[in-house]
Amino acid sequence: MSSVIKDDYLTQLIASWKAEAAASAMPAMSWLDQLRTSAAGRIEALRLPTTRDEEWRFTDITPLKSALFPRASVASSLTGSDIARYTLDDVPNRVVFVDGQFSAELSSIEHDSGVIAGNLSSLAREHTATVAHHLGRLADFQDDIFVALNTAFLHDGVGIIIPADVSAAAPIHVLFITSQPEQTTYPRCLVIAEPGARATLVEEYVALRDAAYLTNSVMEMHLARSAQVQHMRVQRESQQAFHIANNTTVIAPDACYRAVSLTLGAQISRYSQNIVLAGEHAECAIDGLTLIAGKQLADTHTFIDHAKPHGRSQQLHKCIADDSARGVFSGKIMVRPHAQLTDSRQMSRNLLLSDKARVDTKPQLEIFADDVKCAHGATIGQLDKEALFYLRSRGLSDAAARNLLTYAFGGEVINRIPVASLKQQLEKLVLVSTQVN
Amino acid sequence: MSAALQHLVNQPYKHGFVTNIESDVAPKGLNEDVIRLISSKKNEPEWLLAFRLEAYQRWLDMTEPTWQNVKHPKIDFQAISYYSAPKPKKKLASMDEVDPELLRTFEKLGVPMHERAALAWVAVDVIFDSVSVATTYKEKLAEVGIIFCSISEAVQHHPELVKQYLGTVVPPGDNFYAALNSAVFTDGSFCYIPKGVKCPMDLSTYFRINTQESGQFERTLIIAEEGASVSYLEGCTAPQFDTNQLHAAVVELVALDNADIKYSTVQNWYAGDENGVGGIYNFVTKRGLAKGRNSRISWTQVETGSAITWKYPSCILRGENSVGEFYSVAVTNHHQQADTGTKMIHIGRNTRSTIVSKGISAGQSNSSYRGLVRIAPTATNARNYSQCDSMLIGSQCGAHTFPYIQVQNNSAQVEHEASTSKIGEDQLFYFAQRGIDAEEAVSMIINGFCKEVFQQLPLEFAVEATKLLSFKLEGSVG
Repeated sequence: MSSVIKDDYLTQLIASWKAEAAASAMPAMSWLDQLRTSAAGRIEALRLPTTRDEEWRFTDITPLKSALFPRASVASSLTGSDIARYTLDDVPNRVVFVDGQFSAELSSIEHDSGVIAGNLSSLAREHTATVAHHLGRLADFQDDIFVALNTAFLHDGVGIIIPADVSAAAPIHVLFITSQPEQTTYPRCLVIAEPGARATLVEEYVALRDAAYLTNSVMEMHLARSAQVQHMRVQRESQQAFHIANNTTVIAPDACYRAVSLTLGAQISRYSQNIVLAGEHAECAIDGLTLIAGKQLADTHTFIDHAKPHGRSQQLHKCIADDSARGVFSGKIMVRPHAQLTDSRQMSRNLLLSDKARVDTKPQLEIFADDVKCAHGATIGQLDKEALFYLRSRGLSDAAARNLLTYAFGGEVINRIPVASLKQQLEKLVLVSTQVN
Repeated sequence: MSAALQHLVNQPYKHGFVTNIESDVAPKGLNEDVIRLISSKKNEPEWLLAFRLEAYQRWLDMTEPTWQNVKHPKIDFQAISYYSAPKPKKKLASMDEVDPELLRTFEKLGVPMHERAALAWVAVDVIFDSVSVATTYKEKLAEVGIIFCSISEAVQHHPELVKQYLGTVVPPGDNFYAALNSAVFTDGSFCYIPKGVKCPMDLSTYFRINTQESGQFERTLIIAEEGASVSYLEGCTAPQFDTNQLHAAVVELVALDNADIKYSTVQNWYAGDENGVGGIYNFVTKRGLAKGRNSRISWTQVETGSAITWKYPSCILRGENSVGEFYSVAVTNHHQQADTGTKMIHIGRNTRSTIVSKGISAGQSNSSYRGLVRIAPTATNARNYSQCDSMLIGSQCGAHTFPYIQVQNNSAQVEHEASTSKIGEDQLFYFAQRGIDAEEAVSMIINGFCKEVFQQLPLEFAVEATKLLSFKLEGSVG
């Protein structure tokens, strides 16, 4: 039975792809058409994952399969006031997509910042070589059905190029807004940091209405030699939404990538982050906080690939699950042969607030080089009784003590966000959602 | 330094000889007739034949699992002989009637089969290919009510006990190799400790594979009644062949209220030569059921042999306050592969488990820790601590860690830690400074690395394990 649904789902998507491809072919950019066609070819070869697939063992996407949302066609016209609560005061550079369409009115880029940012389809005309060289080349769509779908339906996206040795002072805010129910959007983002470039990026997913829809997003990021990128990711989709995202980041020698990812929304969400330390002395630090309640399921998959010697990686993933929410974490660290002197640390910490909440965590190490330092750890538990007692002895009520400790648990990750306005916004958000009376 | 030590790596496997003993071997292949043949040779009751045939039917419907992190050519299950017994097999009145050839074999292996000659205060059940050939100290144990014999004998003399417990911890359809074992198992040890009895000596089974084309499928069943306790040891060797032999055993432990079972293994099956030719495929299902309140099951294993080791001694912690422990050292060299670990299934309240796993990989070998800690919604106040350390020696080997942690109860405390390291130049320098040469230094460092596990082993085994380890890894560091 389930295979019929699965086949149906993909068959319909392939049919709609064919109809769209005929209409939207761009003769000027045949390389893009080729990319889309080969991705569409993979859709026909692949199938949707089930819980029998090891990588999807704890994440059942059956509810997604039974709801086939059409691709968003018409974007709502929004004004600045509609999105005011999502903008960040100290972030003047903004690229906004509404229902999968680029919104020039809502976006703003300061030209003197030196950063080239905007929608991919116009960026691809001016910087064809750079874009064609990376787009669809970093995120592998051969084996991942969702990346293949995103690539096949790719018609626009966010493009950011930070030219060599440019240090972008102000962060760049990439905002994907869903305003209509029962639709699918395929957000795409390409970030290229040229040698020595520095930038801070905020990638955010929000919904204007509490509705069911699907976001299937792909982000590709390339850090050239000595580039430094800070990447904040905030997923606050509607509580009924489905969110499936892939991020592939390739880091060249001496480059440094820092990421903080927050997962707050969606009924079923999956974030796969693949990081390749492709050069010597490449470095990454990725942190994550998942804060879920109700019947939410949030799955975070990370893969850090130490392909070259002297790489360093650090990861802290935290999950707070309340009610009957379910958190899934799978983090793999691979140390390839000859990637000697790798230094890698990974920690998964989980806090269960209710007796129905559930966490499945799977930190993994695969090591093929002998002169390395690798460690990982995982803990699952509830609030420390002694800490609670200490706070109560100082006169805090039980609820206040619990709230404070829960907030502090999440605060460790929030504190690593370098953008002040975003940090404040999220602090408030976490404070509200960790309040129990 | 590495050149000076290199020659030591290729130390021959000292248990690799073949005993020339006439064997009664069943024709190769597996079908219902073979199962009926095994069953009739062992004069089994009808229910056991039915158990085997049901398992066989389940097995036919199963496919070989492929998720494990090991590689091997497809096993042809029709090319294996499922029964091999040294001839003649007749009732033995005493040890003196055991075939002298067999006695010499075990003497060479250092296994005491003569009670009077036994140095260690250990009762041994000796299993040669498919059958149990001797059990020592039987009468002595019977005095306190302990039943310790081969499982075939138990089927004849204590069918009610076997029937009650066989397949309750590892059901016939549990997994591919457990189903195969349930269909064709030929012998194994059976041990029953009655209520309130502390077993006065260590019990032990010694396994020896001798025939080239036979597989070994033994089945061990240990039952500890209320308040009983037992320490059980298992040792294994096999001759050196350039083909691979399959060893698919099943071990079931049942601990009732306040019972305590400690199961220790020193596994030294033939591991294949330095090019990875030959060796045993050790695909084993071991599981203990801590059924009663305050019961305790402890697994200790030192895995040094086998071309491929693939096993997860597990504990189902059902009884309130029950305790599960797993201490493991897995050493791989040359082309060996090991995918081993444990499963701790917490069901009862206040259940506790500890996992300490040490993996050492050298040569071109790969060793993986794969473990599961599951806290069921009923396991209030469950506690787990896991620690997995790997050491890599040389740049062509791999060490992998795949812990699965599933928690469905918020009062549980679960901790997992893992690290990977090598023997540092500075450590060797420190030893050299104190006049200790590199070889001895490495041996000391490794023994220190494995100490937490060796401490769990009964004395004789700890000595053997320490020797085995330094022997195994000598010269692989430099």
